Amino acid sequence: MSDRISISFTGIAKRYDARVVFRSVSGEAGPGEALVITGPNGAGKSTLLAILCGLVRPTRGEVRHLGAGGEAIERDGWRRHLGVVAPSMALYDELTAIENLRFFARVRGLDRDDGALGGLLESVGLEPARRTPVRGFSTGMAQRLKIAQALLHDPAVLLLDEPSSNLDPAGQDWLEGRVRGLVEEGRTVVLATNDRREMEWGRRHVALAG
Amino acid sequence: MSRWLAEVVAVAAKDLRAELRTRVALNALALFALTTLAAVSYTIGPFRLAEEDRPFLLAVLLWIVILFAALAGLDRSFVKEEESRTAPLLRLAAAPSVVWAGKLVYNLCLIVVLTAMLTPLFCVLMGFEVALPWRFAVLLAAGGLGLAVITTIIAAIIAQAMTRGALFSVLSLPLLLPLVIFLIQGTTAVSTGDLETYRNSLRAVLSMTGVMTIASAWLFPLVWRD
Amino acid sequence: MGRVGATLKWLLLIWMLVVIWAAFLWVPSAQGFKGESSRIVFFHVPTAWVATLAFLVSCIASVMYLRRRSPVDDHRAAVSAGLGLLFAILATVTGAIFARIMWGAYWNWDPRQTSITILLLIYAAYFALRGAVPDPEKRATLAAVYSILAFVTVPFLVFVVPRIYFSLHPDVVTNPDPDNRLDSAHALVLLASTMGFTGLYAWLYSVGSRIEAIRHRRRQEVL
Repeated sequence: MSDRISISFTGIAKRYDARVVFRSVSGEAGPGEALVITGPNGAGKSTLLAILCGLVRPTRGEVRHLGAGGEAIERDGWRRHLGVVAPSMALYDELTAIENLRFFARVRGLDRDDGALGGLLESVGLEPARRTPVRGFSTGMAQRLKIAQALLHDPAVLLLDEPSSNLDPAGQDWLEGRVRGLVEEGRTVVLATNDRREMEWGRRHVALAG
Repeated sequence: MSRWLAEVVAVAAKDLRAELRTRVALNALALFALTTLAAVSYTIGPFRLAEEDRPFLLAVLLWIVILFAALAGLDRSFVKEEESRTAPLLRLAAAPSVVWAGKLVYNLCLIVVLTAMLTPLFCVLMGFEVALPWRFAVLLAAGGLGLAVITTIIAAIIAQAMTRGALFSVLSLPLLLPLVIFLIQGTTAVSTGDLETYRNSLRAVLSMTGVMTIASAWLFPLVWRD
Repeated sequence: MGRVGATLKWLLLIWMLVVIWAAFLWVPSAQGFKGESSRIVFFHVPTAWVATLAFLVSCIASVMYLRRRSPVDDHRAAVSAGLGLLFAILATVTGAIFARIMWGAYWNWDPRQTSITILLLIYAAYFALRGAVPDPEKRATLAAVYSILAFVTVPFLVFVVPRIYFSLHPDVVTNPDPDNRLDSAHALVLLASTMGFTGLYAWLYSVGSRIEAIRHRRRQEVL
């Protein structure tokens, strides 16, 4: 991790033609903090997360990623410090587990040999399946690989959308320990969830109305 | 610079590898090209056209076949990323210019395979005689690059809309038509051996390709990141 | 709209009436054209001009949108493109009528007809794209990008393609041969008509922009 980064968002509104997703949402999360976003289905948790990582432009309001000195980071630079896991973001089906990680390491300009990538796969429990195409994965295995991809570049900020869904109990325990550890190291975590257990991961909460 | 190139190669190689495993785009391109070629060859054949009309009409037919095939398969590069929901992570990992250049290289590979397979077949089946074969190859290469540049940026646009299939042709055609008109003119010229017309049309193809490349490189990040 | 606007609106009406009267009754029929067919020039050329102008305005608004990200610029681009489509259709229809009388066919893929067809295709594609994107921010960006790409293509259509193919289209404005140019009465009415149509476009554009602004405000109130 290169830097400590905090995220703040104020007065975010999003509308798709006639459908208003939310009118005004604000919140913030600093290094060593986990912010939990809750709300009923359709309240826009995933949309808010997509806005926070700069994939969707808000109709109104502002999202800011601030560096250690409090300076705002340009939207084009966000990708360097973000690790994201979301149900709406998939990995490449036709490629194997190791090929997926190798691809993401290369396009990020990272120097990771297969040994390092293998170690990462091992840490999420996928070492035996490293040469299996993702197409042949169970949903739980795919979720583990997505988590590995999000941790690949040692990001300062993690945006997680129901990250332990489809994981077996052992996997859930492992992920909870991992995320709590990352927060303690001074990383910023934003978590969108309705899972009672995941809600406990952070002290700050933002509730979206339905 | 070399790092940028390595990232571009990573994107293109990823797409080519996935394509070689599924062959969705290649099959679409090849089947469209072969079906149209078969239909054209069956109905017109090598002897149906009057001698003086042959170079021009055959040039028209060749580019119609290539255009049809291109419109059938070249939107896959971006549409697949959206349909299989891999686009968000690619957006979060790669620089926009890298994605653009990588997809362009990939589309160019598809077009090269298509024209390399189709053009000799067309010449044999239709009895298309070429007086200036090397210049024909240069023209095909320039045309392929132009087609790849235009279809890549349009594919990036339509991948984010709802009705993708039809929209790709609707948006591409107006931009491709001038290019295809120049290419038809140049192809007629290489068939008859008219060097001056060939040079003029090659110049027009290259300048249009150049302008579109600059415009795409500038506009693509806006399309991709929004 | 203030009193100046209202006055301008009435002036525009009177101006257009005078233009119509002059085009049909004042100017003598031109030499070298069948019957009264030459009079269509007073409506054909201005509508074609406005179609081009509207396209240009739409592109400028698109560039402005990409720079400032203001929804107002997106509305301007869309309104101007809509008017451009309307006037392009009018230019096509008046051109086809003239072609039928002079050359015996409504349509013969004359280079000018080809380029107006492609302009129509571009407009149609622009609106097809707008209709297919539900997210207003994304729609504005994609439409702006497409309109700039289309704009980059237009010079190739207008300047390069007609030079390759022979055209029957009369060139009465810039023709180097003075005998084939318009005489002064024709030129005067054509100029007046072009100004009138440009004024008409400006008026329709301002009405359209205000309607879009009201719609936008109402959507904001919902938000």
